[in-house]
Formats: sequence, structure tokens, C-alpha cells
Amino acid sequence: MTAAKSDTAVTGDEPVTMMEYFMSLTYTDVVSPPVVRFREALMEGRLIAQQCPKCHLVYVPPKGYCPIDTIELDERNEIQLADRGVVTNYTIVTPVQYYGQKETEPFVRASILLDPPGGMLILQDILDIPTDEVRAGMRVEAVWAKPGERNVDEVGNRSGSALEGSLRGFRPTGEPDVPADSFSDKVW
Amino acid sequence: MCSTRAVTELQATTHTIEFPYTRTLGPVIGPFLTGLRDGRILGIRCRDRVLVPPQEYDPETGDALEPPLVEVGPAGTVETWAWVSEPTRKHPLDRPFAFALVKLDGADTAMVHAVDAGSIDAMRTGMRVTPRWRAERKGRIDDIECFVPEGGAA
Repeated sequence: MTAAKSDTAVTGDEPVTMMEYFMSLTYTDVVSPPVVRFREALMEGRLIAQQCPKCHLVYVPPKGYCPIDTIELDERNEIQLADRGVVTNYTIVTPVQYYGQKETEPFVRASILLDPPGGMLILQDILDIPTDEVRAGMRVEAVWAKPGERNVDEVGNRSGSALEGSLRGFRPTGEPDVPADSFSDKVW
Repeated sequence: MCSTRAVTELQATTHTIEFPYTRTLGPVIGPFLTGLRDGRILGIRCRDRVLVPPQEYDPETGDALEPPLVEVGPAGTVETWAWVSEPTRKHPLDRPFAFALVKLDGADTAMVHAVDAGSIDAMRTGMRVTPRWRAERKGRIDDIECFVPEGGAA
């Protein structure tokens, strides 16, 4: 046999008992027409949604259909949203330093019920306030990235409310808190 | 689809999902990969046969198989193969190659590995191949970079 037991360097001489494996999957998704329009609006510092004409639910980001009524939605069902509202509930996340975790300090992810015509944005950062002062009922307003610094490269069909490239998060307005029973039917 | 306006330019997003993980190898695959690191290919006795790569259980009866492992090869014979003319980023070689079932000398089962034959015309069932070892080995299946035709050029 010609082959060669190698005489070159090996890594260690202890028995191999563990295996490291690095799973990596890259995929490319064509952005659906409603999300293309959503991205264009974000670049202008606006939030748009689609509202079902039957059940009146507001979908943000727009989906192109109402899954409850199985109705197709398009630009005729598009509405402009307010970029201020109220924190309905929130979580303080204490980051564990697993692979890919970029945060090092506790941070907030809040659900925001936007002012009329409504719409719910989930997983929003709350800025300009210590995490232990965040509360349900707190009035907040959007903090947009500066016009020349916005990007929507990561806003796709499945990215939901992760809009950090354009909408950085929300900050307190200083207005009085809103009573819980005004939004308790919309808490997720 | 759901827009009344023609979409003239498609927009796309690219996402990468990554998970690093570590697993234990157990009493059979551990020694198998230790062998690869040391430049040896090992199989396991299963009644009157030798299984390569080794398994922890008899595939027919489910009975546990006991180490120690036995050395096979390192050369072997291609039992069947498929040519990969356009390798992707994830493939073991960055040039056209074959995925092949290689039955190593002394083994009774064949293992899947890459064969770097240069061209599809150099591949044939029954051809003799021998491993090309990686210079720096870590106890992974790709410590064998690939198999190459025995005796050098195809």
C-alpha cells in the first residue's frame, strides 16, 4: 500500500472524546411586496400597516393577507401608523454570553400599542431610561435613526418587528402613565 | 402577488443562522476519530465482519459491539460514486470531485468520502484509492482531506 500514515504534526496525543461542530446556514429571501413598501416607509421614518376590512385588525409589518378572515390585503388596505404609544408589557433580558450574543448589560424588550389607528410593535428597545424604571402604561415615542443612517437590509418577510436599523426603539414622552384597563385587552 | 403595482425590482434579504455545538463521541466513535488524528483508520468487529466506520451496535441485531477497534486500509476500492461538478462552499473540496463509497482493505462495509480524481473521466467503480491526510489533524472525519487514486495521477 502506498498510502501514508502521516508523520506530520497532530493536535495533541490525548484520546479524542468530544467533537466541535459549527452549523451555519445562509439563506436569501425575496422580500414580499407589502414588506418592500414597509421598508420604503421605514427609510422615510414612517410606519405603515395593513388593516383587515372585515375584522379591522392591524398588521404591522403588513402581511399581504388577513390570516383570520383569509382575505388578501394590498395597498388599498394600507394605513399610516402613529410612531408613539404605550408600553403594554415588557421583559428585562439579562444576557447570557452565548455565541452571537452582542448585548452585555440587561436590556428591555417591550410591546408597544401605537396610538390610533393602532397596531402593536413587539420586541422594542426602550431607550433613555434605566431598565428598572420601565413600566406597563408608560407613554413612549419612536426614536428613529437619522435619515442618512437608516438601513432596512435586515427587514425581511420573517424579521417581524426587528427594525433596529431604522427604528432604534422608543423613549418615554414624560406624559402621565395610561391606566392598565385601557390596554389590558391588547396585552400579548 | 398581493400588490396592485408591478414589482419591477426584487429586493432580497440574506440571513445566516449559526449554532456552534459540542458533542461527546462515546466509546466507539471517540477511538475512531482518535485514530484518524493519529493517521490510522479503524473499524470494529461485528461477528465475522469489520464495519468501517465503526458503529456502537450491530446494525442487524442491535447487539452492542465491543472495542477495541481494528486497523484497516488505509487504501481501498471505490464501490460507487457520484461526481460533483460544481462544489459549493460547504463541500470538502473547492474543485470538482466525487463523493464515493470506499471499501477499505480489510473492511466489509464502505464509508462515504470525497475522491479527488481530477476529472470525471478518471473515476470508475472498482478503482483503487488511498487517503490524503491533512497536515494538521484534530480528530475529525476531514482529517482525511479526501481519497486520491492509488499510485498518484489518475
